[in-house]
Amino acid sequence: MAQSAQGLGGLTYDASKKARPPELNVFLALVLIVAAFEAIGRLLIGDSFLFNTRDNVDTLFNQQRLQIIILQVAIVGIIAIGVTQVIITGGIDLSSGSVVGATAMVAMSFAQTALVNGQPNPKAIFGPGFMDLPVIVPVVVGLACGLVAGLVNGALIAYTRIPPFIATLGMMVFARGFSRWWSNGNPISFPTESYAAIGRGMMPVVIFVALAVLFHCVMTYTRYGKHCYAIGSNEAAARMSGIDVTHHKVLVYTLAAMLAALAAIVLSSKNLTAQAGMGVMYELDAIAMAVIGGVSLSGGRGSILGTVLGALIFGVIISGFTFLKLDAYYQEMVKGVIIVAAVVLDQWRQRSRLQG
Amino acid sequence: MRRTVIVAGLAALMGTTAAAQDIGVSMARFDDNFLTVLRVGMEEQAASLGVNLQVEDAQNDVAKQLDQINNFIASGVDAIIVNAVDTSATQAMSDAAAAAGVPLVYVNREPINVDSLPDTQAFVASNEKDSGTLQTQEVCRLFKEAGKAEANVYVIMGELSNQAAVMRTQDIKDVIGTPDCSFIKIIDEQTSNWQRDQAQNLMTNWLSTGTPFDGVIANNDESAIGAIQALKAAGVDMASVVVAGIDATQDALAAMQAGDLDVTVFQDAAGQGAGSLDAAIRLSKGESVDQKVYIPFQLVTPANIGDFLAKN
Repeated sequence: MAQSAQGLGGLTYDASKKARPPELNVFLALVLIVAAFEAIGRLLIGDSFLFNTRDNVDTLFNQQRLQIIILQVAIVGIIAIGVTQVIITGGIDLSSGSVVGATAMVAMSFAQTALVNGQPNPKAIFGPGFMDLPVIVPVVVGLACGLVAGLVNGALIAYTRIPPFIATLGMMVFARGFSRWWSNGNPISFPTESYAAIGRGMMPVVIFVALAVLFHCVMTYTRYGKHCYAIGSNEAAARMSGIDVTHHKVLVYTLAAMLAALAAIVLSSKNLTAQAGMGVMYELDAIAMAVIGGVSLSGGRGSILGTVLGALIFGVIISGFTFLKLDAYYQEMVKGVIIVAAVVLDQWRQRSRLQG
Repeated sequence: MRRTVIVAGLAALMGTTAAAQDIGVSMARFDDNFLTVLRVGMEEQAASLGVNLQVEDAQNDVAKQLDQINNFIASGVDAIIVNAVDTSATQAMSDAAAAAGVPLVYVNREPINVDSLPDTQAFVASNEKDSGTLQTQEVCRLFKEAGKAEANVYVIMGELSNQAAVMRTQDIKDVIGTPDCSFIKIIDEQTSNWQRDQAQNLMTNWLSTGTPFDGVIANNDESAIGAIQALKAAGVDMASVVVAGIDATQDALAAMQAGDLDVTVFQDAAGQGAGSLDAAIRLSKGESVDQKVYIPFQLVTPANIGDFLAKN
């Protein structure tokens, strides 16, 4: 009996060997980190991280803190949704941060208002004909920037067969140069009221969550999602089984860049300004969120849900450190440790599962 | 024989460069609001004087900046202007330029070796001692005007490797250290790396602690605006808090006109750019220049905002 089961190898289904879903581990890590901040907060500064300790507000939790935890990672989170899909197909996208910078500059140029406090807009990029345009114009122009960047990325990777690392590195450098060139490094400010509404208040979170739910379903239930996992697991096998790998890759990189462009629109709207330096390092934060969330850099494994949890871990750390009044230096050091630790733990889990 | 030809050729080359001067400029970064105004001020001055300007972007990289300076020296420019990425890494730049006999002018950011610069080098900027001092004194005055017996403030610092951020934060502490303004207490100080987005998140995190406060003093306007956006999003009455920045950028002046920003300090970016170019030209002609050339800071409040609207 035992002999025959071994002969079947990985195809044998053994319920006792079914590992916990990796998302559950990420969720437990999140809970652990929150609990750690709660405990340290109560012990050291006598305040609660999660719960409301103010007399003038009547809520159980500290709502404002819960909001900022998600709000401060929502925009990079939107990028991470696209990056997750890229990584699941076994690729990588280094260009998203620069695409954010370039898109923010271009979109904001079409979103400017003619009058600021009754005077002409001091940051005007185009003439009055391009001022006070309906909000759809900057949004479409912005998404078009993402479309172009993504098509170029995807086409380079799928047709010239250069490694994704190199293709998107090229786009990363190019798009950053483009965003500096666009207005000679000048920031672009003062958008129309309707453009400003896109990223106001908790809107970035609403957009992030809606996209996360949408793409979680897409990755789980549609053929597109199944092809992503298939290509990431074994590209040759996927091709042999009839998946159009070339077209699929172009599609994946295009979606990722368009999500980065959307993040740029939300970011520039939230900040009411576009600056050439916007989005620097966002690509690495997005990749880190995915990795912490259990997305495997070798492809084929991971989920949008995991990435969302990874993003929340980021948010909790940033807020936790401000709550403890610790400097930003420590934040980055801890972030670095967590990224590496997440991958090491994942590797161990993989190995122990394979060795049974 | 060959040597004399080369020497003659070099002399001819130097002759032509002396007629239309070549000046190399290495900026810390191109995508900074304030530094762009400075750079444009420099470029306009160069155009009006007929000087050839070659401007490079060090992209906030200390090593890249030193390479750019060495490249300028190798290509035989008449003078170099440096907007230092890291103000504590300037000794190597001074040494390289001095060894090659090329005049060097630091602009805007004070080099660590400012007191030991050789005669062919100078520093053009505004005195950072004044910026944070003017800013905090005005905040102190506003608190007194509002009749506050004690006031709590948050401090948003710029990039911590930057001399101006360190200096401006020290200025704040110096002013509230005087008996006149000692009623002001700092609740917490954190960095936003000069960025609006980071300041916005930082302020929201502070708001979530629920600690009552009376004002926010930021090392630059972008950070002050980020704080304002967070405060407004949280529904804080802007009349009840004092928000102060430095730079008097267009965005900041608009925020002041809207009644959100209470204090900013005008730093004459274009004036510094033009001033650094003048110093570089004079040094390259062998004239002497003061080691520190200061372009004054000016306090901007809703009362005198009209004087500054067209400036930065």
